Amino acid sequence: MTEDNNHGNKTLEGVVKRLGEHGMSRRQALKAIIASGMGVAVSPLVSRVAWGATGPGGLPLARPDKPVTLPMHGDPIADGLKPESGTFTVFNYSDYLYKAVLDKFGEKYDVDVQLTTFANMDQCITKLANRDVDVDVTELTPDRITQATAGKLLQPINHSYIPNLKKNVWPQLHSPFYDRGSRYTVPYACYTTGIGWRSDKVSEDIPNMDNPWSIFWNAQDYKGYAGIINSPREAIGLAMLYRGNTDLNTEDPKVIDQALEDLQELVKVCNPKVNNTEYQTLAQGKSWLHQAWSGDALMNVWWYLPEGQTGDVIQYWTAGKGKAPIQNDVWAVPVFSKKPVLAHLWMNFILEEENAHSNFVNFTGYQPPINSINADSLIAEGTVPEHLSSAVVRPEDFGPGSIQYMTLTAEGQRMWQDAYAQFISGV
Amino acid sequence: MYPRWLWQACAAPGVFWLLLLFIVPFYAVIGVAFGQLDPIFQNPIPIWNPLHWNFDNTLSILAQFVPGERYWLVFVRTTKYIFFAVAISLLIAYPVAYYISRHARRTKTILLVLLVLPFWVSYLMRMLAWVGLLSPDGLVNNFLIWSHIDTDPPNWLGGHPGTVIFALIYGYIPYMILPLVAALDRIDKSLIEASRDLGMTARQTFFRVTLPLSKMGILGGCVIITLPMFGDYYTPQIVSGSPETSMLGNQIYLYFHGGPQPDVGATLTVVLSLFLAVLMAYYLYSVARAQKDLQ
Repeated sequence: MTEDNNHGNKTLEGVVKRLGEHGMSRRQALKAIIASGMGVAVSPLVSRVAWGATGPGGLPLARPDKPVTLPMHGDPIADGLKPESGTFTVFNYSDYLYKAVLDKFGEKYDVDVQLTTFANMDQCITKLANRDVDVDVTELTPDRITQATAGKLLQPINHSYIPNLKKNVWPQLHSPFYDRGSRYTVPYACYTTGIGWRSDKVSEDIPNMDNPWSIFWNAQDYKGYAGIINSPREAIGLAMLYRGNTDLNTEDPKVIDQALEDLQELVKVCNPKVNNTEYQTLAQGKSWLHQAWSGDALMNVWWYLPEGQTGDVIQYWTAGKGKAPIQNDVWAVPVFSKKPVLAHLWMNFILEEENAHSNFVNFTGYQPPINSINADSLIAEGTVPEHLSSAVVRPEDFGPGSIQYMTLTAEGQRMWQDAYAQFISGV
Repeated sequence: MYPRWLWQACAAPGVFWLLLLFIVPFYAVIGVAFGQLDPIFQNPIPIWNPLHWNFDNTLSILAQFVPGERYWLVFVRTTKYIFFAVAISLLIAYPVAYYISRHARRTKTILLVLLVLPFWVSYLMRMLAWVGLLSPDGLVNNFLIWSHIDTDPPNWLGGHPGTVIFALIYGYIPYMILPLVAALDRIDKSLIEASRDLGMTARQTFFRVTLPLSKMGILGGCVIITLPMFGDYYTPQIVSGSPETSMLGNQIYLYFHGGPQPDVGATLTVVLSLFLAVLMAYYLYSVARAQKDLQ
């Protein structure tokens, strides 16, 4: 055996050992290495095996048309257990949960409730994987569930504690494609990606354009006032939608290169800002045209309109099912949660109609997938202005045929990130 | 007589500090740059043994530092911004420092306190204040319209290189003034008096005595603000956010902040550090030469 092979196999052993610490068998670890595309880097032995087109840990990549049942790692907690006492810790983005709702949960179960935050999903997963945080329930996005399950970070949930899942949540999310049977997760908030703009500044009739996404490539007049969401998936996805490509989980280098080229062209056209401040800058007039999430449009109108400004200037358009991304966040219980019963009760609590509604309209602006919270009721109660009904997500928007940014292979992730890095480098 | 070990012991906290907060973290960055990734979580797995380092990534990244390639162009843009920011900072800072050192007698302490005052407010907050001032309907534009200087003022925050350079100057200039004041204060006044006594004009005295003797302060100030500017990513993000004004720090941040390639971010950090080490080496060489000249 050559020296290179020796070194490679030593490194391979190191990685296998590390995966063993995550509870994986040697066979599972090797499978994971192959699936991740790391084989070439870690060992010439493994590099001989073709890269699998699977996700983390060799698990299949879930897509709206290809649902995945995740493997059970351990058993759920038993039925009828008493809630724990002490401090219950929720792990979430900052500003993505109403404090009054947390306090209400604390009062109901007589516990102190604490919020620990992360800046993004990478940080969330890293902290969970390294056990850097001592949390009892965590927020996740569906594209990370395969990863979290493969790494045995989550524990299966016991549905007997969460009757509100069946009672209150949209049927389309009772058994979502990324977690068939809701073995590990319950849904939290949902949103679409579209275009937000100021009707007093942008003259085009965006919804009636032949290709509304093309507004960004015709935004010379809005130079300095146009913006793109600061996310590799969303930015590159926008360029793909502009070209009519709706496979937003593609790993085809040609499609990704074309999207990069279009984004580079966009810099010349309107010099867009790349940020996530569109939830307030549209209302403040600092931005006139911005790729936006549906919740952003509502937040602009609810919280950030300057005095004397009416909400009708804030507009939102999205392309509809199968033509624009729709996403939802979820709640899950970390395997190391010290208060798993409370974690289950929290999942049920946040799916209670009143709590979900309060969290949405009083703080986050992101809609929970709850039966009683729909476009008609929100418009009727005056929560959502009629002209922003497009910012309300509907149950039928989910399901087969919808578009959702989902887990890519490791190689796919690298391609998307490199293209995005090239775009934001401005060269 | 104090024992010799006492003086060496005095350096211990500094050595400990250097080890704990610079050498160990920097070695960790190197370990990440030349290390592996966790195949499931894509977290970096640092490789501590240099014999096992993997340089495949490094070579492909270095290949993008050649003229015409991505990192080269971003590096040139970053260097350009920093060059202008440092040069303008020096032009502003030197007269201020000169005034404080030479002419501000009773007000010297107050002026020094005022200089230190910005440090009481976080850098981020100071930048965000400028976002308010420079926004389309902010005070700056309102003033320009009111005074008829410009009835259609520009969108300063719309991705202008000038705004980024201005923000860098604003953010870092106090770090330039303080070493200059210290350097000018250290100049022996009798040398200046001797220069005047020997018939030099005030202008000649400044260029032939004061300026050369404050060279170390100028270099020190430039180094102190240049190093953090190269790693800065939040200033262009806050006051611009446009790809056209992004700096090398933004590329490092992107790869470190998330995604499957923290090793690329770490490698970029190492490359940047090597470049800055060359600048530092020149500074240290200049200091050594200046000290030799004085002896």
